[in-house]
Formats: sequence, structure tokens, C-alpha cells
Amino acid sequence: MLQGLQDLGSAYLSFMTPMTLLYGLGGAFVGLVMGILPGLSATLAIALLTTMTMSLDGNVAILVLICSYVGALYGGSRTAILLNIPGTAANAASCADGYALAQQGQAGRAIGIATSGAVTSTLLGVVFLATLTPLLANVALKFGAFEFFWLALFGVTLSGSIVGGDPLKGWMMGLVGLLLAQVGEESLYAYQRFTFGSEALAGGIGLIPALVGAFGLAEVLMALSDPIERKIHDLTDSVLPRWRDLIQYRWTVLRSGLIGVFTGLLPGVGEDAGAWVSYAAAKAVSKEREKFGKGSIDGLMAAETGDMSSVPGHLVPVLSLGVPGSAPSAVLMAAMIIHGVQPGPMLIVEHPQFIYHVVAMTTLASFAILLFGLFGVRPMLQVLKVPRNILMPIVFLLCAVGAFAVASRLFDIYVMVAIGIGAYFLRRRGYEMAPLVLGLVLGPLLDKSLRRGLVLSDGSLVPFFTRPISLVLATITIFMFLLYVPQFRRAVAGVGKTIARGARSALGRSGI
Amino acid sequence: MNSAEPTHATETAEPQHDGDSDATASPRADLYDAIGWVILGVVVVVLSLQMDRLQDRHINPLTVPGLVPGLLGVGMTIVGAILGLRSWSRGALHQALPAVAENQRKRRLRVLLAVILCCGYSAVLLGHGLPFWVASSIYVTCSILVFDRMSSDPVKRRIGLLTVAKALLIGVLSSVAVWLVFERLFLVRLP
Repeated sequence: MLQGLQDLGSAYLSFMTPMTLLYGLGGAFVGLVMGILPGLSATLAIALLTTMTMSLDGNVAILVLICSYVGALYGGSRTAILLNIPGTAANAASCADGYALAQQGQAGRAIGIATSGAVTSTLLGVVFLATLTPLLANVALKFGAFEFFWLALFGVTLSGSIVGGDPLKGWMMGLVGLLLAQVGEESLYAYQRFTFGSEALAGGIGLIPALVGAFGLAEVLMALSDPIERKIHDLTDSVLPRWRDLIQYRWTVLRSGLIGVFTGLLPGVGEDAGAWVSYAAAKAVSKEREKFGKGSIDGLMAAETGDMSSVPGHLVPVLSLGVPGSAPSAVLMAAMIIHGVQPGPMLIVEHPQFIYHVVAMTTLASFAILLFGLFGVRPMLQVLKVPRNILMPIVFLLCAVGAFAVASRLFDIYVMVAIGIGAYFLRRRGYEMAPLVLGLVLGPLLDKSLRRGLVLSDGSLVPFFTRPISLVLATITIFMFLLYVPQFRRAVAGVGKTIARGARSALGRSGI
Repeated sequence: MNSAEPTHATETAEPQHDGDSDATASPRADLYDAIGWVILGVVVVVLSLQMDRLQDRHINPLTVPGLVPGLLGVGMTIVGAILGLRSWSRGALHQALPAVAENQRKRRLRVLLAVILCCGYSAVLLGHGLPFWVASSIYVTCSILVFDRMSSDPVKRRIGLLTVAKALLIGVLSSVAVWLVFERLFLVRLP
């Protein structure tokens, strides 16, 4: 315990140099601008900055990336409030009440609420990041191939069902992602799969080119294809954070913060889920339920705190299990690997300090967004006035640079373009890209774990279901999957109601 | 949920695209998707079965390289078939694809041009000896001019000498800025 606090203290001190703080602010600034621009996501911000920060010291580079991650999610609420378009997917829940407040001439107040909620919830999430990561990492040390197989499958199952509204299309994208991850030389016998004799394909599909394509180019095409350009809402009142609102809605902040962290822990559940679940929970218990969707402070606070606290939540499984929960955390994990830190169960053994460094970085990121929230909102909104005809070609330029820079291969630019065009058409047909990314990230883990497990068990499937942790993960995965079968879902709901009735009558009899 | 609600279309009038919402996710479109996914799934299964079993290395037959891709192919076939059945139950065979509205036609043309410009930049201009900033300047300038020409605003649609000069200036400045920041400041190799 004391050792942990000492490590945390030295981690904070290690970042207290003017240059490092400046890099952090720079990362948050880029993230904020990306978040403000509709469509440009936290994923793209991290992917582009990964290439830019390759020559920096590992810890400084990760600081820049975490600051841009937090900054992008925070920046995304600006367009949700002013344009009714979420800057990132995670800010969609902020649209309803944020835009309604803007229409009532309270856009500045809505932005102030977003700032105070974002800072508080990120700091709340940081506490959980510091306490849960070492605990989970100790459990993860007991994980073997069998457990990792179930974890990877659980991630894909969840991503298919929760991201977007159509589980079938989500699972299909998850399967496509897993399939793309099989391209190239496999890790067990060095056999080349789906390469069709191409040397370039033997190296596999790079995560960063694929992500830049799916989230960058697809978005460029989305923006350029729209014949109508939206106009920004006027910002007339003060944008300073409203701490009084924060105190008044403290239970909403606490509840949504906890929901955000715990949805963040689940592999495959993006930041948007944290926001939506928090919003739904706030609506269920709020005294001003009728105002939800019409400019409710409670609703906006819940949505903003839910998505921001999920950022530290997402970092917990990345660090302790090596399994990212969302697309931005997947790129962040790839960046950590590029900088010589392998996230996963062995992290606590090989780089025990790193966990505390990430805690310090996330804290700094929340202070960076507070600083920009206090002083930088109005000037940064000017970026929304740049016509998309000018902005989008420049974004594509950055996409090409981002795809090329990691491995200096032209082939990666072609991959980015192919995946970007494919992603555009799939998105137009109702397919989400987040499950594809998760499949791409979890594909190698799934393949390696399944076949390594089968080697260890000499071809027997029994250990996949009999080892204690495996059994728990298998039960949860199969249960989650079966919940999408209507008959099973109805049966579970029936059992739930019977238990609730039984509990109520038992409590009534005992006079409690 | 899917934007297409479960409906058995009985009306004779063809629904119109508004151009904003993507009506291509209609039951009929889902049915076409499902056919494509099933074909892809079957192709993946066949390719997986054709992969080397590495018998000469005496490996466990359950750990062959084609195992996971094969399972994924089966998964894709099953999910594709369920998608097909769902779209059929939602009236895919009775409901035609929505007629394409003017807005949608414009959208298609714009995306086609954007794709041509992006592909031209990536495949022709980059990596064939042209300096990065020159290739990028050409791409950005052309993109700005093409989409100005496509604008719904008649003033913007007029391409004069001043518009070309402005687009060229933005193209060169942005490309040089990207080149300086990435290659000179952050020492990143550019194509």
C-alpha cells in the first residue's frame, strides 16, 4: 500500500517538468480540436499522434496520447451542444439536452456543465484506475490460454451487441475484424494465411492503417458526401464551469462516474455505452424526468460524466489484461507496444511503475481539459468555421501520413484507403466500425489462445470449461450471447420477476 | 435498432430517399448484404480447408492454421444467413429498394469524386518520386476546387482566377506545414 503511494507520488513528480507539461497540453489541444470537429474521433487523434510522437521518450509520448484521448472526448460535447452533432460517438447522449439548452440561449451554461462534469468524472475514474488495475493485474496473472480465449470471445460478443443498434450487423463486423486479423503470418507455426503470394500481406493488416481508414477516411467521405453544410449555434453566455450545478447534481455525478468506470471495464463496450447507460439511469431516478431531452441539466451532467469516466475505466483492462475495451484504447495499447511497453498480466511484473505513470498522465489530462475549458473554448470553436471543402482534404493528408509513418510502407496507405472506402459504404448500410476494430485487435489473441490451449490440452476442449476462471468467463459469454435469443431473454425476464416477487413477499412477511 | 423497421410493404408507391437517412439499410438491401456475407463466409471456409495441415511437422490436427479462419467463415455464413432470414421476414422480397432522390444522387456523385481524388493521391501522386509537399499540394488544391464546383451555393460554384489562387495557397501552405511538422519537427518519414 505504502509502496503503491510512493510509486504514485514519484510518478506525479516525474511529469512535473515544463517541457513534459507542455507536451501534455499539446496532446490535449490536438485531441480537443479533433473532438470539436464532427466525425473526427478520439481514435483518429491518437492514431495520428502515435506517428508524430514516435521519436519522443515513451512516457512523454503516452502522456500526449492520453491527453489527446481525454481531450477528444471532452471536445466532442461542444459540437453536440452547438450543432446537435456529436463530435465523437461518445457524445451522442449529450446532444438531446445540450442542444436543447443551446436553443434556449444557454449554450455557454451547457458547455460549463460539460467541463465541470468531465473534469470531476475523469478524476473519479483515476481513483478507480489506481486501485483496480493492480488488483485485476494480480488476478490476470492466473490467466492462461484458455482464459484469454474466453476473454477475447466475450469482447467480440459484447461489442457486437452493444455498439450500434443491430446485434447481427455488429457481430458481422466483429467477425470481419477477426478475419482481417488472420491475414499474414500466424504466430504458432509461421504459416502465411490469406496472403495469396503477396509479400506485403505477409506482414498482416496493420492496426493503425486500418483504424485511420475506418475512422479517418470513412469520416472524410461522410463529410464530403453530404450536400448540406450545417451552421453553428450562437454562443452568447459564459462558458465557465458551473460548480454550483455540480454540487446540486452530485449524486448524478457520482452515479454516472461509477457507471462510466464499470462499463469501461467491459471489453467491447465503448465510451458511448458509458454515456447512454448513465443517461438512462439518471432519467430513471431523476426528479425532473419530464425535462430529459428538453434541456435537462441532470441529463447533460449524466451523459458527460458517464463518457468521461469511462476513459480511465477503459485503461484498466488495457493495462491489466492487454485487452482494450474500445477503439481509442486499442490504438493506445498499440502505441504502448510501439514504445516498448507490453500491456497485459506481465506488466505489473515487468514495468510495475508504468501503471502509476498512466494514473498520473490521466490526472494531468483532466487538468489540461479544465485549463482549456476555462480559457480556450471560444477560440477553439473557430475551427468549426473552416469549410469542410478545405478541412477534409487536409484531414485525408494527415490520414495518409498517419498510415505510412508507423512502418514506412506505401502498402499501409493502400490498406487505409481500401478499409476507409469499405467502411464508408458499410456505415451507410448500418454497420458500425467499432466491432471491426475490436475484432482486429482481439483476432490474434483469440487465434493464439484457442490453438495454444488445444496444444496444451492435447486437443481436448474440456479445460476450456473446467478451469475455474475459464468456467466463469465461459458462462458469462454464453449467457450474454443467449440473451439475444428472444425465448431465452423472455425466460430470464420471467425468472427475474419471480425472484423479485418472492423477495418482496419475504420482506413483507418479516415486516422489514 | 436497424433503421428499417419490420414492415411488410403493401403499398404500391415506391418510398423516396430523403438523402440524409440511408435507406439502403432497407430489408431488401439487408437481403443483398446477407447474400454477399454468406458467399464470403463460404469462400473463407473453402480457403481455410485448402490451407496446409502441416502433417509433415506432426502437429495436433486441432491446431492447424486453418482452424480459426474456418470457424470464422462458418460464423459469417451463419450470421449472414440469419440476416437474410430476418430481412425476408421483414418483407425484403415484396419491398423494392427506395427510389433515389435528388439529394441522394448528389451524395453519390460527391462521394465518387472524393474516392477518385483520394485514390489518385494515394496511388499515383504519393511514392513515385514526387516530393510529398508537391503531391499533397496538388491533391488539396484539386479537392478544394472540385468540391467548390459541386457546392449548392451559385457564388461558390463559380471558379475564377482568385478561387484557384486561394485554393493553391491553402494547398501549398497546408502541405508544407504538414511536411515541416512531421518530417522536420517530429522526425517522421513521409511518403
